[in-house]
Amino acid sequence: MSKEYRVMKGNEAMAEAALRAGCRFYAGYPITPQSEILQYMSAHMAERGGVFLQGESEIASMSMLWGAAACGERVMTSSSGPGYDLKQEGISYFASYNLPAVIADVMRYGTGDGEITAGQDSYWLATKGGGHGDSRQIVLAPASVQESADLTYEAFDLAFKYRTQVILLSDGSIGQMIEKVYLPEHKEHDKDQYDWAIKGYKKPEETKVKVTNTDRSMDSYEEYNQMMQDKFRTMHENEQRWENFMTEDAEFVLVAIGISSRVCKSAVRRARENGMRLGLIRPISVWPFPEKAFRDLPETVKGLATVEMSLSAQMGQDLMMAVRCKKPVYSYLTTKYIPTTQGIVDFCSDVLAGKVKELEVF
Amino acid sequence: MAVRMTKPQMINQQVGWCGGCGHGIIQRLIAESCEELGLVEKTVQVLDIACAYWSIDTLNCDGIAGPHGRPAAVATGIKKVRPDANVYVCAGDGCSYVIGLEETLYAAARNIPITMIVVNNGIFGMTGGQMCPATTLVGDKTVSSPYGRDPHTAGEPFDTLTMIQSLPVAFAARGALYDPQHIDETKKLIKKGMEYQRDNKGFSIIEILSPCPTNWKLSPVEAMEKIKNANQEIFPVKVYVDNGGDK
Repeated sequence: MSKEYRVMKGNEAMAEAALRAGCRFYAGYPITPQSEILQYMSAHMAERGGVFLQGESEIASMSMLWGAAACGERVMTSSSGPGYDLKQEGISYFASYNLPAVIADVMRYGTGDGEITAGQDSYWLATKGGGHGDSRQIVLAPASVQESADLTYEAFDLAFKYRTQVILLSDGSIGQMIEKVYLPEHKEHDKDQYDWAIKGYKKPEETKVKVTNTDRSMDSYEEYNQMMQDKFRTMHENEQRWENFMTEDAEFVLVAIGISSRVCKSAVRRARENGMRLGLIRPISVWPFPEKAFRDLPETVKGLATVEMSLSAQMGQDLMMAVRCKKPVYSYLTTKYIPTTQGIVDFCSDVLAGKVKELEVF
Repeated sequence: MAVRMTKPQMINQQVGWCGGCGHGIIQRLIAESCEELGLVEKTVQVLDIACAYWSIDTLNCDGIAGPHGRPAAVATGIKKVRPDANVYVCAGDGCSYVIGLEETLYAAARNIPITMIVVNNGIFGMTGGQMCPATTLVGDKTVSSPYGRDPHTAGEPFDTLTMIQSLPVAFAARGALYDPQHIDETKKLIKKGMEYQRDNKGFSIIEILSPCPTNWKLSPVEAMEKIKNANQEIFPVKVYVDNGGDK
């Protein structure tokens, strides 16, 4: 690892890591709490010889990205809340032609305009969304400034490995948090190496590229469908990531991402001081959800609970699928408020005392 | 010696447009312009879904189609990454002036050196002939204005080129296809737009008054006469901006 470190916001660390990963095209539209990504790109993209554009809308920004990505460039955009809604049109198109891109969603809380503060209730849109049609994107959830940099850096390689979009599902708290971060090495990207990309020059005898709603080099929808399903399956198998924290002897396991997962770590420590053996499984990939982490839970585990800043249990439903109803699942939902250590400990005490109903699905 | 009709090499498949449609003429003018300027190998066509989309297969050059209404933004992304390419947009009036008006105006405001060809047929062709809010004439009957366009409810058509005229673009003009002379003039406009792009002068837009006999429910000849006698009264055939020599 490079010894070069800085003290930065999570949002800034994402932008700097993207530039170091060879990102040379960014288009976006301001929205709180992610505007530092756009601002950082506006200040530093030109130094690397890349293109920064402040789009007239999220929709236009995604379309600019679609053109640049079709040329083989490493591209990025970012948004939050209602802005991320408007990315969906583009996400569906990117998925149809399998164009690589990295998209950050720094989640804010609420429906409609909601709040500009941290939230985690856009989980479903990021993990199950992707606009109309049926597609899957790799979705990674950083829980620190360091991880914001590391996952962004890796996201570009994953995007090109699978020809997919990678969604960085941060939240307003991780994005605004300032921490020490070790930055990755600079690397360059050769945009001319892909036969699927527009190069701006073709000899008459060369096959022309047709970037459109399916891969037109394929003969049939059957072939395309098989390719897409194989891709979903391969990503699902290969890209599950998670962190285990004190789960070896746990009697109850918390499951959380982003800012909630950090508070969960404090809760695990505090509970253990009082003899309650909590553990934490922190998904790092949320699509694919790390089902493998739940395959061989210790016999000691009596149940699991997601801790989420949402109105209904969103990740909770993924967890139910992952444990295949073999253990009881609960959800501690704190809506627009960042969970507190004591709140989580008290919730777990209540669950173990039989005072909490199992997760309701609606 | 017999004179044989030839076609541009760039057109390599049979086209799929309706009889009497202007799109086929426009595709040919584009292909001839690219060939005469020696730009075929550098050309990237940016298409809207809807009727313009057919040429993704019939023109032998790199091509891209994206979300409806966004080709000016897509072309912006391509031109920024591949500045030496001849990037042109071919899209309808619904795309360029209705759902994508914002993208069109901002590509012009940024003076991105692309060439935008807007097919103004006064109707939503591909979806079955609905009113186009920007271009359907007052009183014209369509499947979504069955009693004729009523300006009290639907507003009036407007000339987008007068808006673009206020922006720092290289070239903005309107052509028409209703007789051979106007077809020739329209080709000159397209060539000028591509020349200005080649010479990095800035954004160029060429709007073309084009017939849609299928949805206008007229014969091809009647459709051409409607353009000549009615449409060009609202949408005059002229050059709005020519700043190519100044930069």
